[in-house]
Amino acid sequence: MSENKFVVAQDGDIEDGEAIKIDRAITGADDDIAVFFDNGEYFALNDTCSHATASLSEGWIENGEVECPMHSGRFCLASGEVLSMPASENMRTHRVVLENGDVILYPGVPAGVKA
Amino acid sequence: MAAKRLPSTGSVAETPKGALHRPTGIHHNFEVAGMVDSTSGLVDRAIFTDEGLYQQELRRVFAPSWLFLGHVDQLKKTGDFFTTFMGEDPIIVSKGKDGEIRAFLNSCRHRGARVCRADYGTTKNFTCTYHGWTYDLEGKLSNVPNVAGYDENFDTADWGLVEVAQIDNYKGLIFATWNPSAPELPDALGGAKYYMDAFLDKDPEGTVVVGGIMKWELDGNWKLAAEQFATDWYHVNMSHASALMVLSPTGKGPKSEIANTPGRQFHDEQGGHGAGFPTHPKSRFDAQKVHEHYDYGFLRERLGDATVEGPMTTGHGTIFPNFSYLPINGSIRIWHPKGPNKMEVWAWTILDKSMSPEVREAQRLYNLRTFGPSGIFESDDGENWSEVQSISNGFVTNSVALNLQMGIGSEREDGVYPGTTSELYSDAAGRNFYRKWAQLMDTPAWHEEPNE
Repeated sequence: MSENKFVVAQDGDIEDGEAIKIDRAITGADDDIAVFFDNGEYFALNDTCSHATASLSEGWIENGEVECPMHSGRFCLASGEVLSMPASENMRTHRVVLENGDVILYPGVPAGVKA
Repeated sequence: MAAKRLPSTGSVAETPKGALHRPTGIHHNFEVAGMVDSTSGLVDRAIFTDEGLYQQELRRVFAPSWLFLGHVDQLKKTGDFFTTFMGEDPIIVSKGKDGEIRAFLNSCRHRGARVCRADYGTTKNFTCTYHGWTYDLEGKLSNVPNVAGYDENFDTADWGLVEVAQIDNYKGLIFATWNPSAPELPDALGGAKYYMDAFLDKDPEGTVVVGGIMKWELDGNWKLAAEQFATDWYHVNMSHASALMVLSPTGKGPKSEIANTPGRQFHDEQGGHGAGFPTHPKSRFDAQKVHEHYDYGFLRERLGDATVEGPMTTGHGTIFPNFSYLPINGSIRIWHPKGPNKMEVWAWTILDKSMSPEVREAQRLYNLRTFGPSGIFESDDGENWSEVQSISNGFVTNSVALNLQMGIGSEREDGVYPGTTSELYSDAAGRNFYRKWAQLMDTPAWHEEPNE
């Protein structure tokens, strides 16, 4: 797994409160992955909201949470935990780190786990 | 409890008319078959806004149907009464000296004022405050001030309060109709009785009213509310997200398997009634004390496993046209029509007689907080109905059909829940509700002259 990593952006490419979407065709993961930049930290979650079909990379990002742009379900960026109905399933997290100005995504490696 | 009509009171048809007759066409009846397409699941939005259709509803939907009046517990002894409405007609329901429950039009036969202005109470008679005509508990005209001023043709026996054609109760719920040829109440309730029993028949001793009747006015056509309680579980996780979250132990809403529970939805093709319920055992909507009060083994034996695992979890129901209920928490309500754009909601809490006062109080407060006038669920629903109504009079808005297409073709007999059922998330009972509505709207009612 440790070999499966991607430089998805340079620090500064993603503005605060924004996110980018990494296509599953690039990572080989089973879903697109949203990489968020919120208050100086990077986070990554599966991109497709566990409730319906929305892209969380297009969601509202604030205070360590992302709110789905479609039905307003909310998730913790760090843990993927669901915080608000109508969503009821947690989101899968992925490890993302900043090294020497590179934003590095480890698809399939849960956040908080060393690659 | 079939109606006993005394010689002193009359049906609408028997009231003296003299030489009065209404000109042909004073009531214009629209043919509405083209406004409800129950096969395709489409409804014309004008059925919620048009004044002419509304007047026709009062004549052809409300006047011929069995309508909910109240609970037998509201009338304990002779002289007890309460007032309500059937459609927009004001009604007195009273307990006579013979112990019979009767329902009368609350309008003096002289100049038409109400003869009772109170919501409920105990009385000896009903005296009109305008000129003083007085009626006894059985509706008989018992006193006319200056009766000597009328000639010898005047007979008080002709001028009793106008009485409903039929009155009956189903397990404590009193219904009445102006329609002399309506099927008897149990037949009119039809297949819905099984689903109503999940809340009316848990206790061999029956049910009681706990607390008073909560009454509030709402912008919105009455059908929006009646339809939702018949058919709509679809709105729950979206509309009630915040309420479900506050009530959940985690603050984040029910677990996924409960939030996305399976379930069934029933509709009575003949009567237009509908009911839906989840079948997840933890999908419950009552105070913890109520849950602890029940002996589910006893209830399984009394009403069957399917009832306990289905309509007794939680859910919703509408008895056509405008009586709705929430089976598990005992919230019952009527959506009184007040013009096409307004309704008045009257809501009761009905609980088992053998519950302790403490358990009853817990559920009364639970209902007040959830489905009272400012209840956290009720206000979500009211907001939706008023929102829909507030824009419905826009010409273009009004011209665009509404969609009730979920679950088309899913209607079947499932071998577990009696009658025709569909999925929990379905518009089947809604399509049936509007089909029944259109059928009544296009059928001359009992009060219409043959050819009118």
